[in-house]
Amino acid sequence: MTPALQISDLRKVYRRGNVAVDGLSLTIAPGDFFGFLGPNGAGKSTTIHCVTGIATPTSGTIEIFGVDSVKQYRGARRLIGLCPQEFNVDPFATARQIVEWMGGYFGLQAAERSKRTTELLERFGLAEHQKKSFRELSGGLKRRVILARALVHNPRLLILDEPTAGVDVELRRDLWRYLQDLNADGTTILLTSHYLEEVERLCRTIAIVSKGKIVRHGPKEEFLGAGLENAYLSATGAEPDHIAGAAA
Amino acid sequence: MMINWVGLGTIVRREWSRIMRVPIQAFVAPWISALLFIFIFGFVVGGRIRLIGGYHYITFVLPGVLMINVVNAAFLQSTSQIYFQRFLRYVEETLVAPLSYVEMILGSLSMVVLRSVVTALGILAIGAAFGAISLQSLPEFLFWIVCVAVTFGLLGIIIGLWANNFEQLTMLNVFFITPFAMVGGAFFTVSMLPPWLRWLVYGNPFFYFINGLRHSMIGFNEAPPYLGEALSLALCAILAVWVWRLFSRGYGLRE
Repeated sequence: MTPALQISDLRKVYRRGNVAVDGLSLTIAPGDFFGFLGPNGAGKSTTIHCVTGIATPTSGTIEIFGVDSVKQYRGARRLIGLCPQEFNVDPFATARQIVEWMGGYFGLQAAERSKRTTELLERFGLAEHQKKSFRELSGGLKRRVILARALVHNPRLLILDEPTAGVDVELRRDLWRYLQDLNADGTTILLTSHYLEEVERLCRTIAIVSKGKIVRHGPKEEFLGAGLENAYLSATGAEPDHIAGAAA
Repeated sequence: MMINWVGLGTIVRREWSRIMRVPIQAFVAPWISALLFIFIFGFVVGGRIRLIGGYHYITFVLPGVLMINVVNAAFLQSTSQIYFQRFLRYVEETLVAPLSYVEMILGSLSMVVLRSVVTALGILAIGAAFGAISLQSLPEFLFWIVCVAVTFGLLGIIIGLWANNFEQLTMLNVFFITPFAMVGGAFFTVSMLPPWLRWLVYGNPFFYFINGLRHSMIGFNEAPPYLGEALSLALCAILAVWVWRLFSRGYGLRE
């Protein structure tokens, strides 16, 4: 079966020589709910930027459902939806415009684009806020707009970079339910989050990245023996609880 | 290769929506500026100046005023659209979409031409109200408006990609566009200058833009035939290749 995402020996070196991703390889099966963990600056966002086209890889290959992300970039990008960590929108545009324009960039015709935008705005409780500019919205509503924008073209691979950062508990749980439904319908999801509870609850497979490399990768169950937090701290070179306790 | 027309059109719609948030800045300001030029040069000063090349001064000046405003409209549109996309990071919306570099450039330039044409039509209407309008050749007029708008749109894209702050964004306008436009023959003929100063006009690209537009409107010409057209098309082609190469490298766009 063709993987949803296959990254082979990805390397990204920035202009000043900073190596952000260093020979990272990763395979995500179709339909998976994949947790991509790592400390700040480990290379998670850079990897995501290389996959989505925001960054140009220095070397290595990336395939989305078998489509090369550089050589066949149009086909590859149609398969991906990105919900980024930071709000990368025109803050004076309305919630509806942001979602609808994204449909336009993806080539959706006017009628389809309008219908899909309306569906998503209603689904995320944004219908009454659709004419407000983005900057007028609360943090939670902004996060919903960004998620709706990522979904407007029905991507087969949804990439969520810290989607619940700064979101209240109710919205977080609502988003979790929505993402689980989406995944159950066949959408592959790659999630990065600093909330380990979120990853533990939603993901089936987990990879931990540190200093630009994958340091641990496997089914969620493999991480749960000593607790996900300890597994995470151990894999990233920090001190897990029991080691710290023994040393004390 | 199939063109993503819907995506390209969406770039234009987004930019139209953006400038319609500031219609006074985008359209009313250049129209008022042109109105003042026409009023002052047409009635206050122009009434005391004898005919130039057989034309009333206002008729002679109008193409220059029009061209200066088209240049400004094109340059401001393209610098601001690229710079704000980068500054606020919503350029990432187009980077993750199935849009080619050519589509992104064409989308930006389409909006540049649209804004320039609307600005030009407004100034023509003001000129008509003062009885100063004349049009000898519509195709030639359109050629100059579109060619100059695209040229300064491309130049604006380069500056928009390069600039890292608002100060850098305005540098070209302050040190190149405004001074060169003023000495480009908008308000005087080359023959009014002493011979030793004429190189300043003949070596100035703005002279060919203004002279070309003036020829299309009133038939007055001070440059060798087709030299202006050839120079303008060559400049446009060089800038187009430069912009395409910058986009291909992801300069100022991709990490």
